[in-house]
Amino acid sequence: MAARKSATKKKPAAPTMGALMLPALHESTTSSGLKVLAAERGPLPLVAMRLVVRAGSAVDPKDKHGLADFTARLMRRGTQKRGADELDEAIEFVGASFSVGSNEDLLSFFVTTPAEHFPAMIGLLGEIVREPSFPEREVELARERTLAGFANDLDDPSTIADRAFTRALWGAHPYGHDIGGSSAHVRTFTREDLVRFHCERLGPKVALLSVVGAVDPKLVLDEAEKAFAGWTGGPEAAPQIPAMGKMASGRILLVDKPDQTQTQVRIGGPGFRMGHPDYFPSTAMNNVLGGGFTSRLVNEVRVERGLTYGISSYFDMLNVGGVFAISTFTQTERTREMLDVTLSEVAKVRAGGISAAELKKAQRYLAGLYPMRTETNESVASVIGDIRVHALGDDWVEKFRERLCTVKPRQTQEVAAKYLFPTPPLIVLLGKASAVKKQLKGLGPVKVVPASDYE
Amino acid sequence: MAKAPAKPAARKADPVLLSLFDVQEATLPNGLRVRLLANHQTPVVSLYTFFQVGSRNERPGITGISHLFEHMMFNGAKKYGPKKFDQTLESNGGRSNAYTSTDMTVYYEDFASDALETVLDLESDRMRSLRINDVALKSERQVVLEERRVRVDNDITGIMDEELGTLVWKAHAYRWPVIGWQKDIENITRQDCEQYFRTYYAPNNAVLYIVGDIDPKKTLALVRKYYGDIPKGPTPAPVLDAEPEQKGERRAEVRHPAQSPALMIAYRGPAARDEDTLLLDVIQYALAKGEGSRLTKKLVYDTQLAVSVGVDWGWRLDPGIILFFLELKPDSDPRKVEEALYAELQRLVAEGLTERELQKAKNNLRADHLRELATNSGRAHAMGHYEALLGSWRDGLSLPSVYAAATNEQVRAVAAKYFAPERRSVVTVRPTAPADGAVPTVDAQEVA
Repeated sequence: MAARKSATKKKPAAPTMGALMLPALHESTTSSGLKVLAAERGPLPLVAMRLVVRAGSAVDPKDKHGLADFTARLMRRGTQKRGADELDEAIEFVGASFSVGSNEDLLSFFVTTPAEHFPAMIGLLGEIVREPSFPEREVELARERTLAGFANDLDDPSTIADRAFTRALWGAHPYGHDIGGSSAHVRTFTREDLVRFHCERLGPKVALLSVVGAVDPKLVLDEAEKAFAGWTGGPEAAPQIPAMGKMASGRILLVDKPDQTQTQVRIGGPGFRMGHPDYFPSTAMNNVLGGGFTSRLVNEVRVERGLTYGISSYFDMLNVGGVFAISTFTQTERTREMLDVTLSEVAKVRAGGISAAELKKAQRYLAGLYPMRTETNESVASVIGDIRVHALGDDWVEKFRERLCTVKPRQTQEVAAKYLFPTPPLIVLLGKASAVKKQLKGLGPVKVVPASDYE
Repeated sequence: MAKAPAKPAARKADPVLLSLFDVQEATLPNGLRVRLLANHQTPVVSLYTFFQVGSRNERPGITGISHLFEHMMFNGAKKYGPKKFDQTLESNGGRSNAYTSTDMTVYYEDFASDALETVLDLESDRMRSLRINDVALKSERQVVLEERRVRVDNDITGIMDEELGTLVWKAHAYRWPVIGWQKDIENITRQDCEQYFRTYYAPNNAVLYIVGDIDPKKTLALVRKYYGDIPKGPTPAPVLDAEPEQKGERRAEVRHPAQSPALMIAYRGPAARDEDTLLLDVIQYALAKGEGSRLTKKLVYDTQLAVSVGVDWGWRLDPGIILFFLELKPDSDPRKVEEALYAELQRLVAEGLTERELQKAKNNLRADHLRELATNSGRAHAMGHYEALLGSWRDGLSLPSVYAAATNEQVRAVAAKYFAPERRSVVTVRPTAPADGAVPTVDAQEVA
C-alpha cells in the first residue's frame, strides 16, 4: 500500500548536477518517407521502439468519437498475412510486448523486445501498421468489450470525474471528448470506419519511429527500410487542430453518484500548449503550489487538515493548447471545506507569487530528478518522439535543467497571475449530490447530472 | 497423476544478471545490512530501506498500524523535525515514498547523486530518533481514513479484496487488510506507535540498498558514519502461522450498486520460499500473461465470457493465495464464468501446457526480469524483494535458470496440488439497484 502519492516531476537544475546527454541519434528516412531515429544504449539486451503517428483523438470524426484509439487497438488484431492469434503468438512467444497509447494528438505504438528478436519485431510492427485487415469478428468483439468497459467505468469515480471534467472544460473543441469516445459513438463503429480512418489518417509523412537499446543503428535503419517499404496513405502534413477557444468557467458541474462516501474534485481553467515559453516558469511555480510533496496544497489540505490522501495541481499540455487543473478528493461532508482551502491557496499564489526560496527549492527538486526521465530505453524513445512532434528542439533534454534554473521569481509571478484562475474556474464534483449540493452556496451556478451521462 | 515436483537443478546465476550485480555487502556491528551497487549511466541514485515488518506482525485492535506508522515516519525526528524530512529532501533534488505490504515496510528515495549524504542523514535520523507527536498522529489518521475510503470503500476491487481476506484466512494475520479496519485505525494510540517503533525499526531489522551513481567504498563509509551509532534492538518475536487446513470451498457474496457482476477467486498457495512458488510463476504467465495466454484467449476472446481476466500470484513469507480476478459484462451469469475457469484449470491439470506455451512463459519471465532491472530503483527494489522473501538477493540472479529447468510434469503436479476445489474461496459481486445512501452489504457462508 503506497502511503503517498508520488509526484511526477519535470526537469530540474541544481548547481552540481552531473552531465545529462541522450545517446547519439542516427537519423534517416525510409524510401516510403518515414523518419527514423536510432540510438544505441546498453547494457541490458533489450530494445524499445516507439512509432508515433499524428492521428490522436482530436482527429476523430465528429460523430465517431473514440475512432482513432479504437482503430489503433484493432490494428494488432489481424493483418493481410496473419490473424490475431498468429500475431499474438509471434510477439508474445519471444517475450516481446506490443502496446498502443493514444492521446488527443498522437497514436503511439510501443514495442519492447529482447535484442535478438529486434529484426523480427520491427518487421511485425511494419506489417501491423501498413496492412491491418480489421477482421469483422474482431471489430465486433472489441466493440462489445469496449461498451462493457464504459458501463463498468461508471463504478470508477475517478475515471468518470475526469471524463466529465474534460468534456465540460473543452466543450466543442476537438480536445473536448474522451480519447476512448463514448458508448453512443462506439456503438456505431463499423469495419469500414476503421479501414477509412487507417487509410486517411495513418501514413509515413505524419509518423516518426524511434528505436533505442542494444542494437546497432545501422541495423535499425536497414530493418526499418524493409519493414516500412511501400507504406503509403495518410496525409501529407500534420493535421490542423483549431486553436484553443474559450473554456468553461465560473460554474459547477455536480455529477451524482449516490453511493459514494467521498467526493472527487476537479478544478480547471486555461493553460498553454506544449513547447510554450511559459513552460519553465510555470513548472517551477506549479511545483511550489501543488507539485511536490511539500507543496502548499499538500501542506494545507493534507498535512494540516487531513482533508485528503492526495492533491496535486498540474499543467496538462497538448499540441495546440492546454489546461491548468487541480485534482483531489475528500469525504462527502467536507467537500466545501476542501474547495475553500484549495481555492484560497491558489488565490494566494496568484496574488503574491512564490518566494525566492521556494523557487530555488523547486528548481533543485525538479533538476535533481530530471535525469530519471532518461533512465530507460522506453523513456528515451518516448522523449525523442515528443521532441520532434512538438518541435521542442533536439537540445531539449540536455538544456532542460539549465533552462529551469534560470527562471526568475518575477517570471513565476507573471505566470501565476496568468494561469491560476484569474477568472473563476470550472469545478467538477462527483459524489453524493444530495449531501454535496447544499454545501456549494455562493460558489457559482450548480448543474446536477447523473453519472450515467458519462457512459 | 504427475509426480511431485523435483527440486530444481542447481541454481545457477544468469550471466547477464551477474554482470549487472557487482554488489558490495556489509553488516554494521548494530546488525544493519547494507548492499551497494554502482551504476553511472545517469547522475541519480535510489536508496531503499526494507524493514521486516508488515500487517503480518499485527494483532486485532491495532490492525493497520504498520501502514499508519509508515505515514508517521515522515512526520519528524530529532534532528529533522516536523515537515523537515520532505522539505530537506526536495530542496536537495530528491523525492521519497513508501509502501506497506503484508510482509514488509519499504521506504525509498530517488535523488540527484550529490544529495547522497543528506539523504543518509535524513534516513538515519528517523531510524535513530523518530518523534511521534499527537498532532501529526491525528492528522495522519484522517489521511489514512481518506485513503481507506478511496481504496476500499469506494472501490469495488477493494471491497472484494477485503472480503476475500477474511474468507481465506481464519487464524493468520493475512486475514485483515494491510490498511487495517476502520475502527482500529481510529483507535491506534501514540503509545502503540512508540512501542511499534522500538520493536521493529531497529537497525538489525532493516536492510539498506543503494544503487546508482555512487562510489561504493565512500558510500559505505558514509553509512557507517550516519547509522553506526544507532543501537541494536531486540529480535522481534516470530509470527506464528496457526492457519488451519481448509476443508471445503468458501463463498461470499457482496451486494453493491455496481454495473456488472465481478469475481475474485483465490486458491491457497505455498510460501515464497517453497519450490512450488517458481512453478506457479510459470503457470501464472501461461494462464494470463498477454493476449494469447490461455485464460485471456479462452474467456475473453473465444467464449467472450469475461471482459478481462487477471491472475496474481504474489509471493509472501507465509503461504499466500493465487488470485483470479474476472471483470464481467453487465448481464453475465458469474456461475457460468466460474465453471469455464474451473474447466480451464482442470485442463491444465490433465494436459499440462504445450511445450511451446512452457517455453513462451519462460521467455517472458526472463524478459520481464530484465525490464525490471532497467532502473536504479528497479534494481534496488528487486534486491530487497528477493532478500526479504527468499532469504538472499542472490537468489534473484538464479531465477532464470530455475525457470528454464521447469518441466511440464512439474507444472501439472503443481496445478493438481493447488487448484483443488477445497483450497478455493470465491467472492462474487452482485449488482443491486443504486439507492441514495446505500452501503454495500455482505453475505458469507462456508460450503464444507
